[in-house]
Amino acid sequence: MAVQILLNVCLGFMWMFLTTTYDLVAFIKGYFFGLLILFVFRNFFSSRFYLYRIYAVVKLLFIFIKELILANIAVVKIVLTPKLHNSPGIFAYPTRLEKDWEITTLSNLITLTPGTLVVDISEDKKILFVHAVDMNDVQDEIEAIQTSFEKAIMEVSRK
Amino acid sequence: MKTSNVILQSMTKVLLFLIMIFSIYIFFAGHYTPGGGFVGGLLTSGAILLLLLAYDLQTVRNILPVNFLYMVAVGLVFAIGTGAGSLIFNKPFLTHAFGDLHVPILGELHLHTATLFDLGVYLVVVGVTMSIIQTIGGDDE
Repeated sequence: MAVQILLNVCLGFMWMFLTTTYDLVAFIKGYFFGLLILFVFRNFFSSRFYLYRIYAVVKLLFIFIKELILANIAVVKIVLTPKLHNSPGIFAYPTRLEKDWEITTLSNLITLTPGTLVVDISEDKKILFVHAVDMNDVQDEIEAIQTSFEKAIMEVSRK
Repeated sequence: MKTSNVILQSMTKVLLFLIMIFSIYIFFAGHYTPGGGFVGGLLTSGAILLLLLAYDLQTVRNILPVNFLYMVAVGLVFAIGTGAGSLIFNKPFLTHAFGDLHVPILGELHLHTATLFDLGVYLVVVGVTMSIIQTIGGDDE
């Protein structure tokens, strides 16, 4: 991905030298045409066309914002309830992610969305121990994380 | 003896894109400076030819899954379309129009429908050259 972006920037500069106009507009034009060429020859690279990955990153960001708002509302509900009905607990979450940065991102996302908190990660990096404020059904919690965060992170790291 | 084309292949990976951006530059330069659809198209097919020299026909077909005969057809449709477009406005065939357009980032653009005609030429040239090369090259299969 980094190679593709670097190549695209180089093509943008090359356009500036070819047209001998050294301003931002010329660079944007060159970058656009470079993007077009990279898209046409996208099968040439071993990894995906890099805009797909940027799209996946943006999607992950929006999922995070959405989950943050929803989870905060859930926590407000728990705090404002006169009597405590929540049942806290720690559960093991089996993760399919392999790379270190993926696991770090996933645990940060789980922690930053209130309601769940990563307590520890097992030695072989296969299981995350998550503390939940209100866990009625462990399976539901696991599924919720899997469908939202883990899928989105996998989409980013896919080749 | 089987040899490795690793130098040619890795140089192609860089040069291909430089030639492609140069061909697009030549294509757009056609109005005020030397260049245009024909040279631009030939340069583009030259870039693909370099790819063909460094790799083999099947790899190029996988990288560019394009039927170049269709490309010729699309180019001709572009050329005829821009020509016939003037008939709608009660002007003779192939009368071209131009206008200035203000685009937020790019600034003032001087647009001319002759560019669309040139795009047709470009597509036809790329399509014809690549069809010839692929047909001759793929003879032994």
